[in-house]
Amino acid sequence: MKKYLNKYSLSSRHSGNLLAGIHGSVNTQISGITSILSVKNILFFTLAISCLYLAQAHASDEIPGNKQTHPIALTGGTVHTVSGETLVNATLLFDNGKITAIGSTMTLSDSTEKIDISGKHVYPGLIAANSRVGLVEIDAVRSTQDYAEVTQIKPNVRVESALNPDSELLPVLRANGITMTHTIPMGGLLSGTSAMVMMDGWTWEDLTLRAPIGLYVNWPTMAPFRGNLNEKQKSEFLKKRDSQIQQLKDAFADARAYSKAKEAESLKTSVYHKSDIRWEAMMPVLNKEIPVLLEASGIREIEASIDWAMSEDLDVVLMTGTDVRFALDLLKEKNIPVIYKGTLALPLRRYEPYDTPFTVPKLMSDSGVRYCISGSGTPFEAAHERNLPYQAAMAVAYGLSPEEALKAITLYPAQILGVADRVGALEVGKDATLIVTDGDPLDIRTQVEMEYIQGRAVQLTSRHTRLNDKYKTKYARMK
Amino acid sequence: MKALSRFRIFMFVQGIIFFIPQFAMGQTQPQDAIRENTPNVHALINSRIVQSPDRIIEKGTIILRDGIITDVGESVKIPEDARIWDYSGLTVYPGFIESYMPVKLEEKTGSKNGTTSLKPAYWNPNVHPEESAFNCAPLKDTDLQALRNQGITAAVLIPEDGIFSGSSVLISLGEGTANSQVLKQNVAQNIHFSRPPRSGELPVYPASQMGVIALIRQTFLDADWYDKAQRAYVLNQSSQIRPETNLALQALALSLKEKQPFAFRTFDDLNSLRALKVAREFGLNVWLVGNGEEYRQLTPLKNANVPLIIPVNFPPAPDVDSPEDAVQLSLRELNHWDSAPLNARFLKNADIPFSFSSVDLKNKSDFLKNIRKTVERGLPPEDALAALTMVPATVLGMDDKLGSIDTGKLAHLIVCYGDIFAKENSIFSLWINGKIYEIQKKPQFDLAGAWDLNLQLPQQNLMQELVLSGKAGKLSGALKSDSLKISVNKIALDFSRISMVFLGDSLGLKGMVRLSGKAEANHLTGSGMLADGSVFKWNAKRKSAMESKNDTRKKPNPDLNEPLSVPLDAYAYRHIPAQQPIVFVQNATIWTSSEKGLLEEADLLIVNGKITEVGKNLTAPAKALIIDARGKHVTPGLIDAHSHTAISQGVNEGTQAVTSEVRIEDVINPEDIGLYRELAGGLTIINQLHGSANPIGGQNSVIKLRWGADAEGLRVRDAIPGIKFALGENVKQSNWGEKFTTRYPQTRMGVEQIIFDRFKAAQDYELTWQKYNERRDKTGIIPPRRDLELEALVEILNGKRLIHSHSYRQDEILMLTRLAEYFNFQIGTFQHVLEGYKVAEALAQHGAGASTFSDWWAYKFEVYDAIPYNGAIMHEAGVLVSFNSDDNELARRMNLEAAKAVKYGGVPEQEALKFVTLNPAKQLRIDHRVGSLEKGKDGDFVVWSGHPLSSFSRCEQTWIEGRKYFDLENDLQMRDTVEKERQRLIQKVLISQNKPAGGLK
Repeated sequence: MKKYLNKYSLSSRHSGNLLAGIHGSVNTQISGITSILSVKNILFFTLAISCLYLAQAHASDEIPGNKQTHPIALTGGTVHTVSGETLVNATLLFDNGKITAIGSTMTLSDSTEKIDISGKHVYPGLIAANSRVGLVEIDAVRSTQDYAEVTQIKPNVRVESALNPDSELLPVLRANGITMTHTIPMGGLLSGTSAMVMMDGWTWEDLTLRAPIGLYVNWPTMAPFRGNLNEKQKSEFLKKRDSQIQQLKDAFADARAYSKAKEAESLKTSVYHKSDIRWEAMMPVLNKEIPVLLEASGIREIEASIDWAMSEDLDVVLMTGTDVRFALDLLKEKNIPVIYKGTLALPLRRYEPYDTPFTVPKLMSDSGVRYCISGSGTPFEAAHERNLPYQAAMAVAYGLSPEEALKAITLYPAQILGVADRVGALEVGKDATLIVTDGDPLDIRTQVEMEYIQGRAVQLTSRHTRLNDKYKTKYARMK
Repeated sequence: MKALSRFRIFMFVQGIIFFIPQFAMGQTQPQDAIRENTPNVHALINSRIVQSPDRIIEKGTIILRDGIITDVGESVKIPEDARIWDYSGLTVYPGFIESYMPVKLEEKTGSKNGTTSLKPAYWNPNVHPEESAFNCAPLKDTDLQALRNQGITAAVLIPEDGIFSGSSVLISLGEGTANSQVLKQNVAQNIHFSRPPRSGELPVYPASQMGVIALIRQTFLDADWYDKAQRAYVLNQSSQIRPETNLALQALALSLKEKQPFAFRTFDDLNSLRALKVAREFGLNVWLVGNGEEYRQLTPLKNANVPLIIPVNFPPAPDVDSPEDAVQLSLRELNHWDSAPLNARFLKNADIPFSFSSVDLKNKSDFLKNIRKTVERGLPPEDALAALTMVPATVLGMDDKLGSIDTGKLAHLIVCYGDIFAKENSIFSLWINGKIYEIQKKPQFDLAGAWDLNLQLPQQNLMQELVLSGKAGKLSGALKSDSLKISVNKIALDFSRISMVFLGDSLGLKGMVRLSGKAEANHLTGSGMLADGSVFKWNAKRKSAMESKNDTRKKPNPDLNEPLSVPLDAYAYRHIPAQQPIVFVQNATIWTSSEKGLLEEADLLIVNGKITEVGKNLTAPAKALIIDARGKHVTPGLIDAHSHTAISQGVNEGTQAVTSEVRIEDVINPEDIGLYRELAGGLTIINQLHGSANPIGGQNSVIKLRWGADAEGLRVRDAIPGIKFALGENVKQSNWGEKFTTRYPQTRMGVEQIIFDRFKAAQDYELTWQKYNERRDKTGIIPPRRDLELEALVEILNGKRLIHSHSYRQDEILMLTRLAEYFNFQIGTFQHVLEGYKVAEALAQHGAGASTFSDWWAYKFEVYDAIPYNGAIMHEAGVLVSFNSDDNELARRMNLEAAKAVKYGGVPEQEALKFVTLNPAKQLRIDHRVGSLEKGKDGDFVVWSGHPLSSFSRCEQTWIEGRKYFDLENDLQMRDTVEKERQRLIQKVLISQNKPAGGLK
């Protein structure tokens, strides 16, 4: 309850700031333009204008799905529940955006829309567990970058209110079965809170399945990557590292102090304390209502960051790459789940086996570490998040079972990110967020033919299909 | 006063002088004080004389007169006027020669931004062969002293800035004016084979290694032209424009004419091979200044047969204290730590002569130390000595003056306390031009050990055991017998004088007893004083059996038995795999990428690397290597038409808008692990392209992934030469930051114009040469200057070089197509060409290939309209389409990229596979030998575990020309080897740092 109040007050404070924010930003823009003109750089001026246009006026042509108005039954297809068994020639029924029945025989009301999907397959919508989708349109165009706020400690920053529902990226991802992205802010040490974002909706509130999901912590590099620094550089590196770690520790200590003072205040045992929205935003983390999303690259970073998180008594989701293979025992012991940042990557070091990134999911699976598979999460990757299933498929080519691989992009991310009550599997009571395909979504050649997000039928067209159609018309006319 | 503490080389400026010993003074200098005329005649007697590595006089005499060795031998008549130096127990060596000592030029030449130098220099500030080490900044006497401390008596000074840095000078390292110390001028021209450091905010040409090589090449051509032009002009001044005056080219032309040596300074093993290649191209008399990695390239160095100067800068032990640290270390780093001290021995074993240099040593005192380490690791001391004396003397053409102790040579000598390659022997003094320089006056007695001390007291002789420990300056000791121990204090050793104090009470000597006297290695003698002031004699004799230290080098050296084999980097092959004479793949599903289409249960026969048959029910020839591929799929080797794998030190020469003179083939890196990793994904050929930083980039290189071959061995020589062009945001520097707003072009309009203008220039160039060549009588006619940049463009105009143009937007694609049509040539490929689908008909009509990304988009504004249907639409419109990677990671799964052509646009599977096999082969004009599995083509194929377009399939084997380059089994074995080798070396590092008691073998 307390958490909710905090969040609510946070939100209202945000909306209070909104006007001031807009006012401020207008001023900034004007002075920005003046300064551009004062250096007489017409080129940059035009560039700036075109970017503004791009960022503010562009909208994708796809129309969000309509709220489900009647029950829909998908009949005759193979239902891959993922959490349970796979039912051949079965029916999946959903109503009001929720799955209401799955089975081989069921009576359907007259109002039920029956869609024959014989020969097709139904899967839960895929979840991209590590992404910047919604916060970036064109990464090289600065005005379309919204993923990294300034300052080191900004737990109050939240992604959902900056999501662009009209991003052209969303329909593109959706068309290949990516129904949700876990969108995470970046930059600094405590970058802000993430959200589970659906690829359909009119507003950012529509898009947000749940927020906050976790607080992103970017753990500092513990040792220089290579030993070629001189002594002075080394000591400077270590000094900076230590100060960063101290900043993180201080942030948590300060947040706890704030929490304590506010507690006392609420019990009327102390005076009023002025608010600090940074520490308010951290209450859900301190109360273990949401985890920290701990990004740590190498084995040293993994060990150090987990030590720290344990000492702070936090729930942890580790975001990491191939070095996770050195920490499997630790992760198992502490029951820490992993967002594995992609198989489609190069080995970190020259001497490592060529298939190291491909084989790590199997190692995690075999050792009983909870994990899911994502992409690299770079802003570049946002536009290419549709290739998520192939990250999982590569692990299959190198030893993981296909069933596990599918879970690693549906059920497992839902569980790890605390949304398994809503999505990640086809079960009665869960959201009707699902895809209908002509085959295994892990195979590139497979097509997604239908898609529902919370029962809303979504368009599978996109900027790409529109341009495809447009230019096909050009060549048809030439014939 | 400051100037006085420095030594300065000068040519024009007079008189900045260090100490003025009379014999070292310039003869033209006026005297302004009392003359000093001490006779300069010396006889060094009773020493062991190492005249040269193979001539040793156990006890002999050397006579020096006025800086010259006038006699040397066992029994030599000592001149009456000679000063005698008794060198009993000492060893005399020829002075060491430092062949490569970089010095900073005091002022850089060339015009800087905003200033105009009056000096007619080369256009590029990195080229100043007219410079000389004479113009270096003043040398510090401490630097000279540091070299002398290592036994170095003469050094070649090298101007260190720039690419053509200037000519070097050989000097004696004695004190005195430069006038008296110069031994040889214009020793060599010096070329630095590396990217010059960035000076200023914007990068300056050349910023890549290929740019450096291109600049070197053009400069040599320019020097040649300059000479011809000047000579022609002299003959005919009235009817032609006077050619430019250029001191740099003038100097270089002279050096070339006089066949002066060119010393190429290299920075890694591949770098040195590239230097050799350039030197061969211009027929240079080349010296190679190495980098410590020579052991990795023994065969080419042996074949090159050029003077080699190698540094002895061994890497410090890598940090392996924790497994987390060790995990960061490459096998190569570990190997190099272990092998660097063996470098010289490798060369010796391969019979490659070399000189040692202290170049790259931050601390010059490591020079002798590291050479001793090399000797300890098995380099015969004679060879070490040769590398410091006779070899460099001969290379420098100074073997009549330096390099050995012989009559008539300069008096450059080292006087050492013993074998100079034994750790414990320090250098006593040097002779340079007949003047003595004391280095280590104090003999380094190691007094530690047990001694029999005899105190000859007034009443009695008292015998005690004296145990000394520690080194001079920090000696401690004790008197010991069975029952007692008395500590001895204040032990001091000053020169050969020793003194100590102890409390005598327990010996029956009341109070403090003092001893002092003379120390020798095994004897101490002197007098002592008791508390009452009475004096007595004492002496001590070393107890241990080891009498002399001179025998240590005779100790058996365990390292000598180390097997000498060049270490392999992870997954490296020593050679390319053996060619299987007959390979028979049977029962496979074969994707031929030819008219035969897909063959099930089919066989493939490869004889001597060429496909001889593809089909069903073939018979395996006797002795065939049979691959049973039942249930598996076989495809042609995959081809990537856009790669930056295996390119050393810079993919872009992006400092100028037009760099058609740079060549990727100059900087192929056959050691890039990317090649092996790509083989593991079924890739067999890549088109190595220059980057997209400028409208006209560099020349491409097409290579087969023949892992284990050298750079030349990778190349596919019958591919038509190509060149990278680029259009759009990258070349107009849209995303480079705010500093980059001045280079032409900054708009797509300008991109068109600069390309257009440069082709016009190429036409003019060709015409100029035609006219010149048509002249019967060329006497007195200034020839046109060869311009490598324009020559590449002329090749394009003549259809001999293909453009591979980076492009995104339809306007620019169409623009370049039309531009090519204006000049009447055909574009090879548009690369990326992400809006190619908008102008597919124009591409098809022109006949340009399209090498595109399967599905990348939205990473910059110009690719916002990129769609994954691009390949399919262009394919349907009749364009020759391939999918490329442009990325070392993506290049490992090109088969899956092909699958995206099926997904987006429904290209039939076999056609889709051609996007990464036959089509790129056609685009590179190598489809006559690769791209499909057809009779007569190269035996390049991949065995897949399943359907090649399925994400669940993996590459099991990759073959090129009947050689198996990748194989899952073999890969597992190599992993094992890599891991074992890493652990072995890590253990070796740990042991070297923490020697456990008991010693190690």
